[in-house]
Amino acid sequence: MERYSHDPLAEALRELRPTPRPEFAAELDRRAAAGFPPPEEPHGAPARSRIRRLVARLAAVPPRRVALPAGGLAVAAAVVAAVAVMSYESEPQQPPLGGRGDAEAGIHESALRPNVNPDGAAQSADRIAQAAGTPPKVEEFWEAQRAEGRSGDHLRASGESPGAGSPDAKFHAFSEKAPSASATLAPASRGGVAAQTRNRDIERSAELTLATDPAGVGDAASQVFDAVHAQRGIVLRSSTREGEAGEAGAYFELLIPSGRLGDALAALSEVAEVRSRREATADITAPTITVGERLQDSRARIDGLLAQLADADTEAEREAVERELRGERRRAAFLRSRLARLNRRANFARVSVRIETGAPSSSAGGGWGVGEALGDAGRILTVAAGVALIGLAILGPIALIALLAWLAHRAWLRRARQRTLG
Amino acid sequence: MSEALLAAAEAPPAAELAFDRLYRASRDDVFAYVASLLGDRAAAEEVTAAAFERAYRKRSRFDPRRGEPRAWLFGIARNAALDELRRRGRQAELSAEPADLAAELEESAERSERRLAVATALAALAPRERELIALKFFAGLSNAEIAAVTGVSESNAGTKLHRAVTKLREACDGAL
Repeated sequence: MERYSHDPLAEALRELRPTPRPEFAAELDRRAAAGFPPPEEPHGAPARSRIRRLVARLAAVPPRRVALPAGGLAVAAAVVAAVAVMSYESEPQQPPLGGRGDAEAGIHESALRPNVNPDGAAQSADRIAQAAGTPPKVEEFWEAQRAEGRSGDHLRASGESPGAGSPDAKFHAFSEKAPSASATLAPASRGGVAAQTRNRDIERSAELTLATDPAGVGDAASQVFDAVHAQRGIVLRSSTREGEAGEAGAYFELLIPSGRLGDALAALSEVAEVRSRREATADITAPTITVGERLQDSRARIDGLLAQLADADTEAEREAVERELRGERRRAAFLRSRLARLNRRANFARVSVRIETGAPSSSAGGGWGVGEALGDAGRILTVAAGVALIGLAILGPIALIALLAWLAHRAWLRRARQRTLG
Repeated sequence: MSEALLAAAEAPPAAELAFDRLYRASRDDVFAYVASLLGDRAAAEEVTAAAFERAYRKRSRFDPRRGEPRAWLFGIARNAALDELRRRGRQAELSAEPADLAAELEESAERSERRLAVATALAALAPRERELIALKFFAGLSNAEIAAVTGVSESNAGTKLHRAVTKLREACDGAL
């Protein structure tokens, strides 16, 4: 104001300068000394004014004071979400062992449920067998066994490999010789099995590791035999070892009717402490149907060749037809064997049971050490990063829209104030 | 020693002291500026109090590297006054209340005539020009502070102020 310090106009303007009332000035001084306390809310003050004051207070807070607690809250929310996701993932939903991929495993779960019943092993074969009017092969096998006077007690073996007289070998032979139910299907019903999407041929397998003390191996092995026999299963191979902890143990390879697998595993799990348990499924419907259809075609060709043989006029024709007939019969036998193997795979689940003594080995998957801890930590960090990323993907656009809206509001307010001045 | 420590502990922080100094130096200036914008003493008192309260709440957000404290304070007062005008749906006015002028009638007639002429000339200016006059002569801000408050460059503020003063002087020609 030095330029206008001696200007008459400036002096005249200074005379026009409004001055505050002394009472107002004193009141304002008092409020300033007290730090501008909020005025007391009169009784029944409208909520709008309180909200407006609250908004004004929040707007006066420095951003960094809001960012720190907001950031902490966001981190806490991310941790909670990560723990929740981890808890969901840790539920027992083990992936199938082996198998031929999801395409073949397909609807194995929905296919399993309808087949789970006390006679489930027969049901798989029943799908084809009953269509052809033949009895289920599993029942036929046991009937044959009983007729020969062999019972489940003869299944208690120790260190024996399956020989010609073992139940396993007999079952293989029985399966090879028994007419394949699919071969007797009438052509018109061939598509019936494939069309039954609920009835699938599912190959099931399981691995069970039990733990006991060295003195209990023999008793546990006996209980395993009892459990297998109770479920009409077959012990393909077994071996036991005696010794100190870590040396003593037993191993069993079992065939359990597929429909009784659940009960069998439950019974086996009660034999001793379960260290690990794994199950797997594989859908073998497609190859089963394919082989069955090929066997039907082969039989039809055999019938045709037999008719040709009956009509052969010359020796040369007869030899040619017989040669072709021999080849076709060999092919039919091969297909029959393949189909029997496929049916056996569907009808019986392969189960391996291992009885261990001593401390669990990390390779068996039962231990938890530094490696597992690192793996768990890595998974937690991965999940947390995923949750944070998803949170950013959701909150980012919202925050951007909010920021644009705030900037637009500030610009509009600035222009509105400028317009007020004309 | 312990008394000195106690006194230091009881002393208000530096930010509080700085705001107190700013308040005492600017109280009347802010009122004069706001009153000149609103043309209403009662509303000017409310807006002045609201402006200082708002500045007090935001005192920790003031960055000295971005400008002078007085410019920052008058920016808050300006926004509060303009918001009040917007709320009332009126444009900025600059006029002396009749009571002020009536109180001056006891002075010399020449002085009263001069004040009336200046007030009339001031009322004839555009609102933006009147605001510049108020910031310069009522609030006592420098050109740099005026530029910071109004959001223009310092040279631009000086040029516009010079034009407003020239127009005012021409309108008051003969009365001064």
